[in-house]
Amino acid sequence: MNGQAQSLLVPLLVNGLIIGMLYGVVAMCFVLIYKASQVVNFAQGELLLVGAWVCWWLLTRYHLPFVWGFLITLAFMMALGVLIQIALLRPMIGEPVISVIMITIGLSIFLQALMKWIFGVFAQPFPPVFSTRTVTLLGLTIETAYIMSATVCLIVMTGFAWFFKYSREGLAMRATAFSQQVAQSLGVPVRRIFALSWAISAMVSAVAGVVIGVVNGVSSALSFYGIKVFPAVIVGGLDSIVGGVLGGVIVGVVENMAHYADTTFLHVGNLYEVAPFYVLILILLIRPYGLMGTRDIERV
Amino acid sequence: MAAADTRPCGDYRTSYGGDQTIFATRLALAACVAGLLLLCASPLFLGKYFVSLLIQIAYFGIAALGLNILVGFSGQISIGHAAFFGFGGFASAWLANHGVPVFFAVPLAGLCTTVVGLMFGLPATRLRGLYLAIATLAAQYILQDFFARSTWLTGGVAGSPAKPFAIFGWQADSDVRFFYVAWAWLVVMYLGATNLMRTRDGRALVAVRDHYLSAEMMGVNLTLYRSMAFGISSFYAGIAGALYAHYLGFMSLEGIDVLLSIQFLGMVIIGGLGSITGSLLGTAFMVLLPEAVGAAASGLAGSWLDQLLGLKSGIAYLREMTIGAVIVLFLIFEPDGLAHRWRRIKAYWKLYPFSY
Amino acid sequence: MSRRSHAAYILAALAALPLTAHAQNKIRLGHLADYSGPTSDVGVPYGQGVDDTFAWINKNGGIDGRQIDVETVDYSYQVPRALATYKKWLGQGDVVAIEGWGTADTEALVKFVGDDHIPFMSGSYAAALTDPTGKGGPRSERATPYNFFYGPSYSDAARALVQWAAEDWKKKGGSGKPRYVHMGANHPYPNAPKAAAEEYARELGFEVLPPIVFALTPGDYTPQCLSLKQSGANYAYLGNTAGSNISVLKACETAGVKVQFLGNVWGMDENAAKTAGSAADGVVFPLRTAVTWTGDAPGMKLMHEISRMSDAAGSAYRPVHYLAGACAALYMSEAIGWAAAHGGATGPKIRDAMYARTNWVPKGAEGVCKPSTWTAEDHRPSLQVDLYQIHVKGTTEAPVDELMRKGTVTLTRVTTIDLPRKKDWLGW
Repeated sequence: MNGQAQSLLVPLLVNGLIIGMLYGVVAMCFVLIYKASQVVNFAQGELLLVGAWVCWWLLTRYHLPFVWGFLITLAFMMALGVLIQIALLRPMIGEPVISVIMITIGLSIFLQALMKWIFGVFAQPFPPVFSTRTVTLLGLTIETAYIMSATVCLIVMTGFAWFFKYSREGLAMRATAFSQQVAQSLGVPVRRIFALSWAISAMVSAVAGVVIGVVNGVSSALSFYGIKVFPAVIVGGLDSIVGGVLGGVIVGVVENMAHYADTTFLHVGNLYEVAPFYVLILILLIRPYGLMGTRDIERV
Repeated sequence: MAAADTRPCGDYRTSYGGDQTIFATRLALAACVAGLLLLCASPLFLGKYFVSLLIQIAYFGIAALGLNILVGFSGQISIGHAAFFGFGGFASAWLANHGVPVFFAVPLAGLCTTVVGLMFGLPATRLRGLYLAIATLAAQYILQDFFARSTWLTGGVAGSPAKPFAIFGWQADSDVRFFYVAWAWLVVMYLGATNLMRTRDGRALVAVRDHYLSAEMMGVNLTLYRSMAFGISSFYAGIAGALYAHYLGFMSLEGIDVLLSIQFLGMVIIGGLGSITGSLLGTAFMVLLPEAVGAAASGLAGSWLDQLLGLKSGIAYLREMTIGAVIVLFLIFEPDGLAHRWRRIKAYWKLYPFSY
Repeated sequence: MSRRSHAAYILAALAALPLTAHAQNKIRLGHLADYSGPTSDVGVPYGQGVDDTFAWINKNGGIDGRQIDVETVDYSYQVPRALATYKKWLGQGDVVAIEGWGTADTEALVKFVGDDHIPFMSGSYAAALTDPTGKGGPRSERATPYNFFYGPSYSDAARALVQWAAEDWKKKGGSGKPRYVHMGANHPYPNAPKAAAEEYARELGFEVLPPIVFALTPGDYTPQCLSLKQSGANYAYLGNTAGSNISVLKACETAGVKVQFLGNVWGMDENAAKTAGSAADGVVFPLRTAVTWTGDAPGMKLMHEISRMSDAAGSAYRPVHYLAGACAALYMSEAIGWAAAHGGATGPKIRDAMYARTNWVPKGAEGVCKPSTWTAEDHRPSLQVDLYQIHVKGTTEAPVDELMRKGTVTLTRVTTIDLPRKKDWLGW
């Protein structure tokens, strides 16, 4: 039994790392918005959904090759991100946190219903994108799409690192995150920075959405990944990009390890789903700013 | 305290008690009483449909008030309210099925939910704002999982049948009878909340919301009052859930999910944070809005607008989109909610023609 | 803002006033459907089947000369909305029967339809709805005298799958005890048949493994598939709805799991096969009708006519749920016809009408709707379950009707299981 159990452990670990990178991509988008404008985006899952549907539509309706469809999707999502920021979030500057949360929740309800209306209620498969569908890694066979997401995650992470450290806009974004008023007084176009952060976040969300769509088919329940992102960003720290990826990986591993413990010893049944939430609560109690967030949470 | 209302000339308060009356003027009291009498008489001329809508407004209104006490008055965001609502329903059904008369099962269920709320509230006092919101979201999922798993409480697959409300042999098994039960509870809970807000504890809650550092310096025990807010809000949610269970005669997991929590938040925000009448207005709005959209759509059926948008097939999407859009629009254009708008309307008429 | 919402209230009030303009010779029915909520992927075809059938009946003379006035409400699987709609219908006073949908609305309305004497034909086949007296079976939980459904109950369908699995194991020449595992979310819908199926599996000599849990939302289910692989299960019952079943099938295909998957009535259909692609190859699931859309039966002529009510060109491919919805509506309308001829189309009379015939097949639907018998003690219409297997050859991006026409996706009947009408299975 031990040998059999061991043979489950390594594949689950690898799976957790790979899926964790996907969560990390979504977490990075979330953190980007929060870092730049202190807005909690409860509609992150819906941005994934919109990206996935638009890409699917371009691929199946117009039969574009994947690369072109993908690039057009990215452009569309960029425009959508800017539009959302201008229309919805600008009036909310200065409002209390609850209002901001509720407006993103309202947006998520609206987008969900809109997607169902436009694209229907049936789950749709993506046309085959990769020539080889699966890849074997350390004894675990996984979809090539996940490898793509892991690669994208690393690229985006390094891209963000370079962006924040060396580019002017990145510097401006960090300044805005630190103190909006001081940054504005120094000439940083704060509103443009907000719009830029939403645009980039929406674009990267589309990537994650497309990956999930390729693997599972596109359906409205795809937006549940927007809920899974919360454990990831809390564990990693709400305002740290690297923390977001780290948190995503940790959540992926925790899920899989919880499942392993569940099937081998505990036989509770549901740990795969709830374990991330237990971890979230635990982290909030012990170390609310996460592993890599800034330590400015006042304790009562 | 009617500080936000404009008082008529010559209305002076000469004692602390007089200053803290719930109803600012005799007219306000008379209007409330008249409204209640009208409501009591309404089943006589309203159809079953409207009576059931009013019952829904009643138990959702109680839950919304609980959430408003937590979010509006104490400033603690909670996205897990539906879980407490569900717990109250299950607890009441369980108690009723184990011999407790339903009349007592309802408040007992409220107390059980208070205990659960405190369990979540005590650790939550260490968190603020956004972190609390996320923690309550996690609590919602954890409690949902707990409900699914604990078949002894929730009856698992078949759900849990709940006996109809009964007191001294008078059974509230028809809609009209339950209407009176639900609204009686609503009046009691709302009076309770209004009274709470004018006591020392209520003021402490508001102080904690507004500036907790100053409150702490003045001797308000933050942990105590934050947990108390959770406890009170869970009590309200539990009572509401119990009423819901005994109305349907059946309590099940279906529908106790994060979407319901979001709807409660919507009711509170649309009604107005920190306003008691606002909770009721917001609930009425959220309950009646889908019906209104449905009625409007069936009214428009066949017209050019219908054909343009494909309304017939898209009506349910339109409903959802309207709810999302309404929340967004309210937040942008009317962030203080319907209660504020109602006060502005009253002020307009009181100050006419100088209302600007 | 309040003026605008005021106008909305007035509009709602006016629109919902009891319209006494209902002609006396129309039969009013209610139809609760989910066209936009979480179960809409199966709710749309079923609801369309119901709507089209009533439209066809109206076009062809109505019931007993009277037209049917069906009000279809999309309640998006939200209980408060189902409740409000039911009360509205009750308030208007003349709805005699309701075509319902899922577990949410059916369970919420059980007490009310029982008290108000309104027959409720649901799309939920929970075994808890099969005992009209509440005392028929030892494990029966409640009395549901006014709840009906067409098709085998979830528990009976699961038992049929288990029985087929036992026969299949013997046919394949498997040695030793076959292993059975239930996979599904920890939620009323997938849990409904779990205990019954596991008990029957044990009875038939299976080794029942601990159940594997996966959520009702699509996601990454590689861990579950790896556990499945490791447990050595031979037969796995997928208890969830189509969306997450698809994720599991695809994940398990990628992980190289070789298991015979058993689907449930709402968990697998042609649309799901299209989305799952090659992962759906070989899945066995129960059907409520004797044939699929491409099947050959005398009753398919009626079904094609019914389908033309919403698809004039006649080219749409209708999934299995459409046929089931059509059958449900046909049974209800024949019951109403019988009631009208025997004393008036009222709720209690319609209920009696459901008991009037044995091995009942609606007129014109021979070979499609299965012979069903409802009695005053037993609301299980049929214990005969047809099991079909999906075969997928090639990629599945084309629309469903093209896939079915070209034979890329085929549904072939594997067997018909006749379960005994046991009393201790009643209500459980």
